[in-house]
Amino acid sequence: MQGSRAAQFELYKLYAKAMYNVALRILNYEEEAEDVLQEAFLDAFTRIVDFRQETTFGLWLKQIVINKSINYLRKRKMEFVSTDELSEVPDEDSFDDSEVRLQADEIRTAITELPDGYRVVLSLYLLEGYDHEEIAHILKISENTSRTQYMRAKKKLKSILEQKGMRDE
Amino acid sequence: MNNRLETFVKENRKAFDVMEPSAGLWAKIEQELDKKKKKKPVKLYLWMSAAAAIVVVFGLAWLYVGKLQNKDLEIADVSASYAKKEVHFAGLITEKRDSLAIFASANPELYKKFTADLKKLDEDYERLKAELPTSPNQTFVVKAMVKNREIQLQLLKQQLLIINQVDDYKRVNQI
Repeated sequence: MQGSRAAQFELYKLYAKAMYNVALRILNYEEEAEDVLQEAFLDAFTRIVDFRQETTFGLWLKQIVINKSINYLRKRKMEFVSTDELSEVPDEDSFDDSEVRLQADEIRTAITELPDGYRVVLSLYLLEGYDHEEIAHILKISENTSRTQYMRAKKKLKSILEQKGMRDE
Repeated sequence: MNNRLETFVKENRKAFDVMEPSAGLWAKIEQELDKKKKKKPVKLYLWMSAAAAIVVVFGLAWLYVGKLQNKDLEIADVSASYAKKEVHFAGLITEKRDSLAIFASANPELYKKFTADLKKLDEDYERLKAELPTSPNQTFVVKAMVKNREIQLQLLKQQLLIINQVDDYKRVNQI
């Protein structure tokens, strides 16, 4: 019923890395991300009978990982709706995107420097591929909040990248 | 609106999943899985022993109650009128047996024979009594029990008659 250990290990090998990165982007702490990953796999293996193949195993597992990560984050008392803290961020038009060196590693590092609320919304939208409706559902916020959070997160991210670019030059 | 960031991320999605979980994580997960697997049989074992205990308790209770019922089941439980008869016979039987016992010292051999016959009937009676609780036709058994008592009584009457005659004869001869 719960599948053989070998099959479980195959699933782990297939999904562990991607899921770890999902958790890490939300949590920003490696230890917590590993805890989430462990719990998520254990949950998935013991609840595999509940998995009705409406989605792929990967998407199902990802949902578990994201939910657990959000819960961990909530324990840290993060507020998703705090929106006004970065009102001084300049408008998108005020700097030229092309000047920003779009390097994956730089973006990745810059994302880790975002505040929790921004980082989570930006990760879910930009990297995990959820739309604002889904993000609103996951984070229990309004769709509009998700949208503004994302816009602000993107602005902030670009300013971080811009600062780094200038520093590097 | 500038979408360079979105496009870049989409095109280089793989480059963002670069971090690796520690190598020992699977071992940890495996350990937890083993724990859960071990838990299950223990739970099942517990449930089974609980079920077995309940069965044993109920079994013992059933046996105990059954025994009590066996002991308690008398003719009166089956038929009150037969019970009355039986009690009446039993009383007479004791009376006649006492009378018979008076002649016992005078005619020991005869008394021995008589009591042997009575003993046989008594054994039949006890057997019927033992059968009564489990018998499918209890009225039938009760009837047989009362009949048995009646026969005992008749027998005793005849025995008393015989022993009386023997006694008379002996006394006459003595004179």
